[in-house]
Amino acid sequence: MSPRSASEPGPAARLLANLRVIGALGRRSVAQTFRRPQLMAPILIFPTILLAIQTAGAGRAVDLPQFPEVNGFLDFMLAGAMIQATLLAGNSGGIALAVDLEIGFADRLFAAPVSRYSIILGRLAGTAALGALTAVWFIVIGLAFGATIEQGVPGVVMMILFVSLSAIAFGGIGAAVALRSGSASVVQGLFPIVFVILFLSNAFFPANLLLEPAKTIAEYNPLTFIVDGVREPVVGSLTPASFAEALGSIALVGAISLGLSALALRRRVRLGG
Amino acid sequence: MSPAADIATIRALVRRAANEILRVPGAAIPGVLAPTIFFLGLSAVFGNLIELRGFDVDSYLSWLIPISLLQGAGFTGAATGVNLARDIEQGWFDRLLVSPAPRPVLLAGLVLSASLRSLIPAAVLLTVGFALGAHWPGLLGLAIAVLLVMGMGTLAACWSVTVALRFKSQSAAPLMQAVMLVAILTTTAYAPLELLTGWLQEVARYNPITQVVDAIRQGFVGEGVTLAGTWPGVVALAALVAALAALALRGMRRTAY
Amino acid sequence: MWRHLRRALKSSALQSGRVTAIEARALEREFEGGIRAVDGVDLRVAKGEIYAFLGPNGAGKTTTVRMLTTLLRPTGGEAAVAGHDVVADAGEVRRSIGVALQEAALDPLMTGRELIRLQATLHALPAAEGRARSDELLRRVGLSEAADRRIGTYSGGMRRRLDLASALVHEPEVLFLDEPTTGLDPVSRKAIWEEVVKLNREGTTVFLTTQYLEEADQLADRVGIISAGRLVAEGTPAALKAEVGLPRLEITLAEGSPTDCAHVLSRFGEQLPAKDGALVVELPQGAAGIAPVVRALDEAGVLVESLDLHEPSLDDVFVEQTGRHLEGAEQPAAGGAEPVAPPAAGEPEAAPRT
Repeated sequence: MSPRSASEPGPAARLLANLRVIGALGRRSVAQTFRRPQLMAPILIFPTILLAIQTAGAGRAVDLPQFPEVNGFLDFMLAGAMIQATLLAGNSGGIALAVDLEIGFADRLFAAPVSRYSIILGRLAGTAALGALTAVWFIVIGLAFGATIEQGVPGVVMMILFVSLSAIAFGGIGAAVALRSGSASVVQGLFPIVFVILFLSNAFFPANLLLEPAKTIAEYNPLTFIVDGVREPVVGSLTPASFAEALGSIALVGAISLGLSALALRRRVRLGG
Repeated sequence: MSPAADIATIRALVRRAANEILRVPGAAIPGVLAPTIFFLGLSAVFGNLIELRGFDVDSYLSWLIPISLLQGAGFTGAATGVNLARDIEQGWFDRLLVSPAPRPVLLAGLVLSASLRSLIPAAVLLTVGFALGAHWPGLLGLAIAVLLVMGMGTLAACWSVTVALRFKSQSAAPLMQAVMLVAILTTTAYAPLELLTGWLQEVARYNPITQVVDAIRQGFVGEGVTLAGTWPGVVALAALVAALAALALRGMRRTAY
Repeated sequence: MWRHLRRALKSSALQSGRVTAIEARALEREFEGGIRAVDGVDLRVAKGEIYAFLGPNGAGKTTTVRMLTTLLRPTGGEAAVAGHDVVADAGEVRRSIGVALQEAALDPLMTGRELIRLQATLHALPAAEGRARSDELLRRVGLSEAADRRIGTYSGGMRRRLDLASALVHEPEVLFLDEPTTGLDPVSRKAIWEEVVKLNREGTTVFLTTQYLEEADQLADRVGIISAGRLVAEGTPAALKAEVGLPRLEITLAEGSPTDCAHVLSRFGEQLPAKDGALVVELPQGAAGIAPVVRALDEAGVLVESLDLHEPSLDDVFVEQTGRHLEGAEQPAAGGAEPVAPPAAGEPEAAPRT
C-alpha cells in the first residue's frame, strides 16, 4: 500500500460524498439507540406506559360537554403520545451528539474531508428515522387497542410525515445545545422543558379545555398546530388549513433550531477544541 | 460492631450522599423541580376533569398534590439507586462491602439519606401549591404527608438499590424510575376510583400505593384527617418498605462474593 | 493492475514537485487567559520521513498536532501539510492526511468493522472499494476475528490498532499519530512500531508525538524535542545525543591490578576524570568498542573487575536544554527547578472503622 495522491473532486462529487456520510451517520444514530436500551426507554417505553395510564386515568374526559367528537379517548391521545416520543427522541439525539463531542468521536468527523454540517445533519437524519419509527409504533399500538384512523392510509402517511419532520425540527434544538455546551448532562437537563412545552399545548387535552394560562399559551404554541396535524387524520380528516398550519409551524421551529445549530457549530469550530 | 460505630457509619454515608448534591448542584435541580413542573402541567392540562359528574372536588390542584409529593419521593429514591450503580461500576462500593459495617447498617445509611432528601422537592411543591391556592391540610394533615413522603422515599430507595445490586450498571436507571412512576400513577392519581376506566380501575383498587395516596389526600381534599382514613396508607407503606428492605438486604448479602 | 499503474503514474507526477510533507513557521496557539500552548514552532518534515515530537505532558505536542490536522486554528504563524495551507486549504489537507489521535476517538457501541467502513465513507471511497480496503486493513492489523465485536469489548492494544487501521483506509500521504503507544503493554507497543516502520517503507510520511524516549529513539529519522510550547532541540537521535556527550566506559580495576593504563586507553578515546576510583574513557562507537578495549587491557596485564557503559540518552538532551527530566517529570535534574507536585486526589469519605 503506497500513499495515493488525492485530487480535488468537483462539487457534484462532494455533494454525493456528503450525502453518503449523512446517510452513514444517520444509520449509526439509529443503531446506537437500539444497542443501548436506556436510550430506547424514553423514546418508546415511557411514552407507551404513560399513554396507557393517562388514557385509562382521564378517559372519562370524553363525557365533558366541550370535548370534541371522538371515537374514544385513545383516538385523541394517540397524537400526543407520538409527539411526546418524537420530542424525546430529538432530545436523546442531542445527548448522543454531546457524547460524541465528549469522547472525541466528533474529531474523526472534523478531520475528514466532509462538510462540518454533516455532523448535525447525520444526527438529525437518524432522529427523523426514529421519529418515523415511533409514529409507526403508536399507530400499530393504537389500532391494536381499538383506535380507528378515520382518514385511512393517506392519514397514516400524513402522520408519519409530520412526526418525522418534527423530529428534525425539534432535534435541532438538542443539537444546538449539545454543540454549544459540549456536555451530555446539560442536554439531559432539557428533559423537563420538553414536558413543559407539551403541557402548554393540546398534546394531552383539547386546547379549549385547558386551564389558564396554559389555554392561551397553547393557542399560540406552534406545537399545537403540529399536534393537530397528527391528530386530525385519526379523529376526522386533515383539512388543507390544518395541513398548512402544521407544516408552517414545523418550518418555523426548524428554521430557528437549525439556525441555532449552525451558529453553535461555527462557534465551536472557530474557538477550537 | 458497637451501636456508636453503626451510627457513625450511617452518618458518614448520609453525609457523602449530601456531598453529591453539593458538588454538582446543577445536576440536582432537574430532580428537585421536575415534580413541581409536572404538578403545574398536569393540573393545567387535566384541571377540567373536576367538571365530571362524580368528581366532587373544587380544586384539581389540591387533588394532585399527593401524587406529585410521592413522585418527588420516587425520583429521589431512584436517584439513590443510580448513584449506587455508579459507585459499583467505579469500585467504591467494594470498599464499603469489605468494611466490617453490618449490611443492614450500610443499607440504612444509603436509604436514610433518600428519605430525608425527599423532603426537598416536597417543600418546593408545597410552597408553589399553597401559593396557587391549594387547600391547607392543617398541621396534622401536613405531618401525615411528611411521614408518608419520607416513607415513600425509603421505599423507592430500597427498590432502586435492589435493582442496582442486581444489574450493577447505571443503564438500569430507567427500570428504577419507571417502576416507581407506574406504581404511583396506577392509583387514584388522575381521578377517583369510580371514574377510572377499564383495567386501571381494578389495578388502582388493589394497588397498596392507592392507600398511601388517599391517606395524604384527606388533608388537602374532602372532609379532613381521620384515623380511618390514615391507617390503611401507613400500614400499606410500612409493609411495602419492610418487604423491599428485605429484598435489598438479600441483594446486598448476595453481592458479597 | 491497470488501476495500480494509473495510480503510480499519477502519484509520481503530482508528488515529484513536493519534497516537504509538513511545514510550519512560527506556529502559535494561544488559549483564553493568555496561555500559549504552542509558542512559535518551526518545522520542516521531508516526504518519507518519520519525525517524532518528543516532550512531557503539557508540552504542546497534542495542540501542535491538532493544528496540523486542521482541528484547531493557529492563532499565529502558518503551516502547510502535503503542500496545502492548513487554514486556507483545510479540505485538501484533510484529503491527504490520516489521523490517529491520543483519545482514540472510538464509539464503544460500534463494531470494529463498522467503524473502519464509516471512515471509508468519510473519505468518499466507493462502497465496494471501501469494504475491500476495510477488510484488508483489519487483516493487516490482526483484527479480522474481532472485527464484528463491539469496540467496547476491545483491549487498549486492539483499540489502537483499529484506530491506526482506520487512519490508513484512504492511503494518506501523511500519517499523524498522537502518542500511539501510551498505556500499551510492550508486546502491543512493538506491534505498532513494526507497523509504522512498514508504512514508512511504503512511502508514508509519519509525524508522531510521544513521551517515550525509546519510541523516538527507535522509530524516528529525526526528533524534535518540545518543552513548554517551544522546540528546544531538533535533529537525528544520534546527532542529538552526540551533542550532549559521547558514550563513556567506566572500568573498575580489580584489587592488586596495575593501575597505569593511560597509554592503553588513550588509543580508544579521550580519558575523562576518574569516578569513584573507576577509570573513565570516552568510546565514540559505544558498545561496539568495548571488546577491543578489554583485549588491550588484557594484553597490558591489567585486571578488570567490572565494566559499565554509559550512553547519553534523549533524556540527557532534554535535561541539558530544560533543566528537567523527560520521563518521571516530577523529579528535577540535579540543581534544576522545583518539581510540580501532582494535585492531591479528592478521596471520597470512607466508613469509619472501630
